[in-house]
Amino acid sequence: MISSLNSKKLAPWLGLIAGLVLCCLLALFFNESPWHVFKILTTSFYNSKFDLGLTLFYTTCLIFSGLAFAVPMKAGLFHIGSEGQILFSALIAAYLGTAIVPFDNSFSFVVSVAIILISSMAAGAASAILIAFFKILKQAHEVVVAIMLNFIFAAVTTWLTVNRLQSPTSQNPETALMNESFQFLKNDYLKTYFENSPVSVFLFAALGCCVLLHYVERRTFIGYKIRAYGANPHAATRLGFSQNEILMMSLGLAGVFSAGVGLTEVFGNAFQYKIGFSPQYGFLGIAVSLLAQQNFLGIIGSAFLMACLHKGASDLDLETERLTRDFSRVLQAIIIFSVAASYYIANLKRKK
Amino acid sequence: MDSALVLIFLSALRVSLPLLFAATGGYFSEKSGVAQIALEAYLLIGAFSAATFTYYSKSLLVGYLAAAVLTALFSQIFSLLILKFKGNSIVIGTGLNLLAMGIIPIISKTIFNSTGSTPSIELAQPAPYFPYVVLVITLAVSYWLSEKTIWGLQMKFAGEKKLALQSVGISPAVRQWQSLTFSALVTGLGGAVLSTSLSSNYSPLMSSGRGFIALAALIFAGWNLARALLVCLFFGLCEALQIQMQSNEAISTYVAAEFIQMIPYVATLIALLILRSKYPPAELK
Repeated sequence: MISSLNSKKLAPWLGLIAGLVLCCLLALFFNESPWHVFKILTTSFYNSKFDLGLTLFYTTCLIFSGLAFAVPMKAGLFHIGSEGQILFSALIAAYLGTAIVPFDNSFSFVVSVAIILISSMAAGAASAILIAFFKILKQAHEVVVAIMLNFIFAAVTTWLTVNRLQSPTSQNPETALMNESFQFLKNDYLKTYFENSPVSVFLFAALGCCVLLHYVERRTFIGYKIRAYGANPHAATRLGFSQNEILMMSLGLAGVFSAGVGLTEVFGNAFQYKIGFSPQYGFLGIAVSLLAQQNFLGIIGSAFLMACLHKGASDLDLETERLTRDFSRVLQAIIIFSVAASYYIANLKRKK
Repeated sequence: MDSALVLIFLSALRVSLPLLFAATGGYFSEKSGVAQIALEAYLLIGAFSAATFTYYSKSLLVGYLAAAVLTALFSQIFSLLILKFKGNSIVIGTGLNLLAMGIIPIISKTIFNSTGSTPSIELAQPAPYFPYVVLVITLAVSYWLSEKTIWGLQMKFAGEKKLALQSVGISPAVRQWQSLTFSALVTGLGGAVLSTSLSSNYSPLMSSGRGFIALAALIFAGWNLARALLVCLFFGLCEALQIQMQSNEAISTYVAAEFIQMIPYVATLIALLILRSKYPPAELK
């Protein structure tokens, strides 16, 4: 009785377990012991406080990118453009961090931080709304547009970093460090506790966003509109909801959350823009969001889980002979597959 | 001047080869009613297997065959999840792209002990026209299959009206499965061209969005194969221009390489703005 009620909710988690088992068995093909791989994947996030902090940093990024995927998904859009938005918004934040010099009073300091945060989010939102424009004007498929924009943003940010904003003191392709005063998260309580790992207060911002969105979705008219449009676009337009407005709003919000990833990196961790800082958070977010079935509170759990697995996969480089950090992608893919298949199996059980 | 133009057109034809294969592959999948965004994965798998097998056998033919067969095998994951487990084709396609990107470096590490490029290929005898021969054969077979056979008609009905196909006692899922497998096979050949003819080894993520560009070409050609191939040639022209511009000193000092590399992607977006997609297969999901 209980299992029939919950089978649909439990299905993705069972899928996750099946996927993890499949992945470990896959290790057999590469002459590695599955148990060894499983142990690395599941335990390496708590080797030290620093590792746990790193995992929490990944969690923060994955919550944001999971939200960036989940919000448009509520409106029935498959949004895989957040990778480009992450790069763009991170670069904007890093650039403004070097360009703006606050005066010596706290008011102007708060204002300048606000300017940076808001313009980075606006950049993310604007680049996401571009996708909505293509969708509205030409009914172009959002996946194709998003992928093209990902390539374009990657090229533009690389060019800007190397040719215009390159740090003069560094050999690596990265921008200069932000102003000293903007590096205020460098020595905060969280960082000291986790032995200077990348985690920052953005973790709480991400958790707050999840709770807020959960409320907005369930209790406000805007959330209802987006959900209604996602469930049945025709019925929603008949009710007088504007399609354009819903597309722009859901993608715009997604862009803001993509910017959240960029800000977490630039403000909370590196204090500069490094080329290639993102291990494709935008794509990791897809698996996070599908695992949680686009439930905003569920995303917290699934982001932490994926963060642990991602941390584990990047340790495979050192711990095993043949498996590399690319195993993280294999893991995501197999989790996506088994989660997708698990719905079917769950439905099958219900019919019986 | 004339010879320069001819050169550009010849190189346009050359660089559009993978696109032509991928668009043909995508056509079969989309026409049978399955949205196909895993073309990128098929190109990568085809490119890697062709590079590996050609490296060991020193024969292009073996490489191409391996690419076609292995990609078709790889696509069975897609078919299984879509047709048997009723997954969403966009979700599964994204997963398949991730899988291809993740699994290739690991296999490459196992075989060649490096996650980067494979060692470069030395052929027993060079065969510059081989890919064109394969292209002509593929296009001829594709045209014959989709336009001249009952199978082609049934395949299209699976994408337009499943019920009609069921009412004459044919399973749409079987036609879709055959079509998806053929689609992967053809796209795998495109990957083989990419790694064995356009360059001499497999380098990571070498398809660089060509699968999606081919899909875009198909969409704004209104799911018409002949027009899609023309659009692919146009994208090939953009890419050829990009290569010419990068090797031209006068231009490359003024325009940064990153901007020139962007040309195919920007061209795709502009084409999406100019052309409106119409006549999608009715049951395309």
